[in-house]
Amino acid sequence: MKEGRIATMADTTIRGEGVSKIFSGSVVAVEDAHFDIRQGEFISIVGPSGCGKSTLLRMVAGLIDITSGNLTINGSVVSEPRNDVALMFQKATLLPWKNAMENVLIPTSLQGRKITDADRKQAIDLLQLTGLSGFEFAYPDQLSGGMQQRVALARLLNTGSNILLLDEPFGALDEFTRETMNMELLRIVSEVKATALFVTHNIAEAIFLADRVFVMTPRPGRLARIVDVPFGKDRTPDLAQTPEFNRIVSEVRSILGAGH
Amino acid sequence: MKTSAVTYVKHFALFAAIMGLWEVAARQEWVDSLLLPAPSKIFTALINIMFQSGLMWHHFGVTLYETVAGFLIGSVIGFVLAVLAAQFMGFKTYSTPYVIALQVTPRIALAPLIIAWFGFGISAKVVIAAVICFFPPFVNTLTGLLDYDRDRMEMFRSLRASRWQIFTQLQLPGAMPIIMAGLKTAISLALIGAIVGEFISASEGLGLLMQRFTFQLNMAASFAILVTLTLMGLILYWIMEVLDDRLVYWRHDTRLQQRATRDRRRYASLLKGVGGGPALQPAE
Ligand SMILES: Nc1ncnc2c1ncn2[C@@H]1O[C@H](COP(=O)(O)OP(=O)(O)OP(=O)(O)O)[C@@H](O)[C@H]1O
Ligand SMILES: [Mg+2]
Repeated sequence: MKEGRIATMADTTIRGEGVSKIFSGSVVAVEDAHFDIRQGEFISIVGPSGCGKSTLLRMVAGLIDITSGNLTINGSVVSEPRNDVALMFQKATLLPWKNAMENVLIPTSLQGRKITDADRKQAIDLLQLTGLSGFEFAYPDQLSGGMQQRVALARLLNTGSNILLLDEPFGALDEFTRETMNMELLRIVSEVKATALFVTHNIAEAIFLADRVFVMTPRPGRLARIVDVPFGKDRTPDLAQTPEFNRIVSEVRSILGAGH
Repeated sequence: MKTSAVTYVKHFALFAAIMGLWEVAARQEWVDSLLLPAPSKIFTALINIMFQSGLMWHHFGVTLYETVAGFLIGSVIGFVLAVLAAQFMGFKTYSTPYVIALQVTPRIALAPLIIAWFGFGISAKVVIAAVICFFPPFVNTLTGLLDYDRDRMEMFRSLRASRWQIFTQLQLPGAMPIIMAGLKTAISLALIGAIVGEFISASEGLGLLMQRFTFQLNMAASFAILVTLTLMGLILYWIMEVLDDRLVYWRHDTRLQQRATRDRRRYASLLKGVGGGPALQPAE
């Protein structure tokens, strides 16, 4: 939400009405999902493996068609990838023949224009923002998994998209690095006022980051409940110790348990 | 890892021992020196065909030309067909039976036919070399182009990359390592093709010389030609290694290091005066 404004329906960025995805005629990956996501909201999506989290994200990204229902971004039907939506994966998906800066510049070069020094400067700034000073020209094979993921984050930000879809972006990292990266992500997302959809397996992580948590259950993949997280934007790790936080954790856990 | 001086000495000592034993065996007539001449005789013959008569160089050039031309033609055709096959699934479906038939046929058996079609000159050998070496570049290019990383492809698609951009910026560079491996195999196959072609019928080339010397029972000279062919093989191998080092630099640690350092110098001005500073220390 933009500051000083009350959210209205006009703020809705992403809207799904009865969104379903059926693979190869029989695998129901997502069934009848209804949701409204507002501009600037941070949404976490939790649920067990195979409940359709990635599928939901790829539908929003325009990478796969929806089978039925209606999915719109800023009022227009999603039918293909859009400039204002960018995606980040569990794997860094860097190109090993490009150095960190060149990897960050992939969205720029795919726009089909010549890379200028201003573009390079911006890429370097983003790498420094994600904590990679000194590694601007290192190649992926010279970077650790966590550092590669930072490059991927810088590349995501370089798309300039204000809707960020993150599919377990730090899932492969150790807990310590993941927490630091989460804090960083939260800070950056609110700084650039992006709308974020963040997939994770970790309930506490989901709640800690989000304004609302989409809880999904499997077979068929359903958006079982949307849980509000009333903590505002400024959060510190202490939050996870509060009773209110733990109440929400239990609530999410019970929804997930009931789905089985 | 640096090879130490001691290792070199050991290599040399082993080589000298083998040569010494061979020399003694030939001189003592433990083996028929008519069939297996002493290394010193081979060396003398080598000096003769290389420098005294200089007989070898023309033939060396002919065989090298046949090999390289055959390699280039075979590889380009293999590459282009693979690119087409990767782009159009229909093409792949309909070409596959022929490709498999061609693969299981010992293509060297085509050599007499090719000579019948193209005559006894150099062009027939070029064609034989091309036919023999075409396969690895074709298969490897096709494999490499189709074996892209699914997540990287989705990343490109989500960034609205065109088909051409996906091909040039994702598939082709990703396939480079395996394509280069195919080209390395192809160049040694091309050399085999050229030599076999010369064996069948030729008026010039190292294969012809080899045959002529063997018929004359001039074994020392035959072995000298063999050494010459080894030399040619080594030169071609080395060229491919250099190409590999350049084109697939990201597989070579020292190259990566060099390039990273070079870029750091090249864009030094962009690194200066960046506001904000590191938001995080790289924890790793
Ligand atoms: N391309 C596809 N073709 C067929 N079925 C698919 C495809 N992609 C996903 N599915 C199926 O859809 C269901 C949901 O998959 P999805 O990848 O969305 O799960 P997920 O919630 O992201 O799981 P995870 O947490 O393990 O990543 C699974 O049953 C999966 O097998
Ligand atoms: Mg998934």
